[in-house]
Amino acid sequence: MTQFEGCPGSQAMSFKDQDGNDADQDVGKIKSQLGQWPIQMHLISPTAPYYEGADVLLTADCVAYALGDFHREFLKGKSIAIACPKLDAEQDIYQEKIKAWFDDAKINTLTVLIMQVPCCMGLMNLVQQAAQSAERKVPTKCVVVGVQGDILQQEWVE
Amino acid sequence: MNEYLNRGIKEIITEFPEIDGILNDYEISCGPCSVGTCLLKDIVTIHRLTKDQEQELMARIAKAIHPGKDIKIPEIEKRTEVKPKEFRYAPPIKKLVDEHVLIKRWIGLIPQVVDYCDLKTEEGRQLILDGVDLIRSYADKFHHAKEEDILFKYFDENSDIIKVMYEDHTRARGYVKAVLDALDKGDETAISENLMAYRELLTEHIKKEDEILYPWMDNNLSTIQVGKLYSQFTKADKEIGFSPEKYERFIINLEEKFKQKEK
Ligand SMILES: [Fe+2]
Ligand SMILES: [Fe+2]
Repeated sequence: MTQFEGCPGSQAMSFKDQDGNDADQDVGKIKSQLGQWPIQMHLISPTAPYYEGADVLLTADCVAYALGDFHREFLKGKSIAIACPKLDAEQDIYQEKIKAWFDDAKINTLTVLIMQVPCCMGLMNLVQQAAQSAERKVPTKCVVVGVQGDILQQEWVE
Repeated sequence: MNEYLNRGIKEIITEFPEIDGILNDYEISCGPCSVGTCLLKDIVTIHRLTKDQEQELMARIAKAIHPGKDIKIPEIEKRTEVKPKEFRYAPPIKKLVDEHVLIKRWIGLIPQVVDYCDLKTEEGRQLILDGVDLIRSYADKFHHAKEEDILFKYFDENSDIIKVMYEDHTRARGYVKAVLDALDKGDETAISENLMAYRELLTEHIKKEDEILYPWMDNNLSTIQVGKLYSQFTKADKEIGFSPEKYERFIINLEEKFKQKEK
């Protein structure tokens, strides 16, 4: 170990072939569960019809690459927006859009999927601030994904 | 042993009283339950035991039923993997658990209410009327109605555990009616008896919900259902036509009053 390792969120790691077999992989083409476009937080309109009364996923960009079964396990039946709390600019716009999901689109639930790296918590903080400023309350769940695609934590937030 | 898995718990406890104590060691208190028709296998499934605890419990029950014999313990098929005790409830379930807190505070005051009960004074009569109002409006119309009209509809209402909950609610209503009848007749003893019976019933009832039923339901609700349930609860609370804070103030004042009296 060196004394200074830099930002843990961008620390290089390799876990290729760690469990070597892919016996549990499905064969054949897996159908996409994406039911809308656009998806990037700056591009979406929070009141687009596919957000109205919907169960919404707000996903950190890296999540879909880490989670092996993202489409079937999380995306199926839900609407989505993606964002990076570390690199994206003008995140106050994100906060306004999340608030509009709560108050205007009257979404049913919000599931926030973030990576385990510390900077990803920023997305959850953004959601909590938006929730505080919103008039309507929406059940919100936080799911933390490990860099190897395991679900580290999944719970409803206050 | 297998045949016992499909028998009602009360029947088993009646035949083998020792099993009540064994269940108690695992914080499963079926003894005081008013109905007791839950099947042994369901009771083991629904309580949040680890695999080892379940094996140990089943071994002890088998020993009580067939003393001296070496019994093979049947494995019980788990319906869902149950989470450990310290988990965060989904928001609609948490709402109900939070409402239990005020009901429990009221239940805690009942022995003092009974002691203090003096029907000869207007204040004494009013205290009973206010208590009954809390039970009927807050505990029943506000809280039990959300369980009966909304939450329970998401599950099989013919399952034993939900039938027990309905039966408890009905019995609670019976005690409250008896309190009012006794108040009309000026019968202080009957008021005390029925309030104390209500207290005992609701204490066990809330314990069953907080520790068994709600965690199990919480585990079995999908994210979509959690959202729907939350909206339905919010709508029901808005339409109730009174402010629940009124009852919180009543409890705070009553707690304060009894504290002053103790001094
Ligand atoms: Fe209940
Ligand atoms: Fe309850």
